[in-house]
Amino acid sequence: MILDIYLVLFWLFSAVAVFAALRVITVRNPVHAVLFLVLTFFTCAALWMLLEAEFLAIVLVLVYVGAVMVLFLFVVMMLDINVAPVREGFIQYLPLAATVAVIVVVEMALVVGSKTFRPNQMAAPAPAAAGASNTEELGVLLYTKYLYHFEIAAAILLVAIIAAIALTMRKRPQTKYQNPAQQVQVRKQDRLKIIKMEPEK
Amino acid sequence: MIPLSHYLVLGAILFGLSVAGIFLNRKNVIILLMSIELMLLAVNTNFVAFSHHLGDMTGQVFVFFILTVAAAEAAIGLAILVVLFRNRNTINVADLDTMKG
Amino acid sequence: MLENYLPILIFLAVGVVIGGAALAAGMLIGSRRPNAAKDSPYECGFEAFEDARMKFDVRYYLVAILFIIFDLEIAFLFPWAVVLDEIGLAGFAAMGIFLLILVVGFIYEWKKGALEWE
Repeated sequence: MILDIYLVLFWLFSAVAVFAALRVITVRNPVHAVLFLVLTFFTCAALWMLLEAEFLAIVLVLVYVGAVMVLFLFVVMMLDINVAPVREGFIQYLPLAATVAVIVVVEMALVVGSKTFRPNQMAAPAPAAAGASNTEELGVLLYTKYLYHFEIAAAILLVAIIAAIALTMRKRPQTKYQNPAQQVQVRKQDRLKIIKMEPEK
Repeated sequence: MIPLSHYLVLGAILFGLSVAGIFLNRKNVIILLMSIELMLLAVNTNFVAFSHHLGDMTGQVFVFFILTVAAAEAAIGLAILVVLFRNRNTINVADLDTMKG
Repeated sequence: MLENYLPILIFLAVGVVIGGAALAAGMLIGSRRPNAAKDSPYECGFEAFEDARMKFDVRYYLVAILFIIFDLEIAFLFPWAVVLDEIGLAGFAAMGIFLLILVVGFIYEWKKGALEWE
């Protein structure tokens, strides 16, 4: 039996993904949790790449790893949290959490193991042709059939901009800073006062 | 190539882990938000796997929209968190009991 | 199609191997004799006054958030640019509306002074 390289890669990446996800929910330090989440996203991008979803894999790395996770890191570092009290109840809830997680996984495994989803039931499609472009397929569908949804996405992004500014922006009237425009426009009369003085005798 | 069920089980495991994460870290809002991101990732993985195996790109378009909405959600959620921390000086869920819920 | 990504995979593997080898070599070969004085934080000979972790200013957060929004906007622009020939005028106009909506947000943040670093 020839070893399928794709299958090996799948096992490798999914093992790393599951390990990293496990560490996300168990590490003590939130900064480490964010970094493990980055690892999870990275390996999942590789898994999506194996599914020939190239564009989404790259977007996941660009947008999620590059931006959203940086935002999480900022917030974790900005808030400077005392970790100990936030962690209380970890052991207490461990049995319940494990039970619920196992139930979820078993339920899904039952569904996946049923007749419809057996591994041999749904054959893997042929690998895409060398010249095929995933981005192009996605684009054609996105900008013809799903045009309205695309505009709604713009509205959601607008809401996010306005909400973020309205919530976190604070004017600091007490801070003093220079206004270069005014500095440049200043004239001699504004600053310099020439007075005539009687010469001393 | 890789059978569909492998991806579905992986998605289920990631989803289960994030559910466990919500139970375990129920005091820390940041980890809760991260668990939600993980959940969305698991769901997206399922979407992409089905899209590939059914030969239908709609699933991937859907994932793209989910990514957009999730990024906006994370941005606003973290903004609320920042304001919360500024006003109450805590992110412990147990301390957020002003409404006596 | 996936063969095209082989260089990236090799790149990843080489990166992991080199990084792991450097860490492992340091751990195996280097001598480690830690003691309390060596491990304590150094602050010009004093006892440390405060925690080394410093609070970030909230203004960094605002910049990061605006970056995310426009990052997503760019992500939408990529497939649009690839398929511009096929989607015709309707697709072009759709992107016009999309950008218009986001320009409204941009004007808002500009007028609010969110882009200024006081």
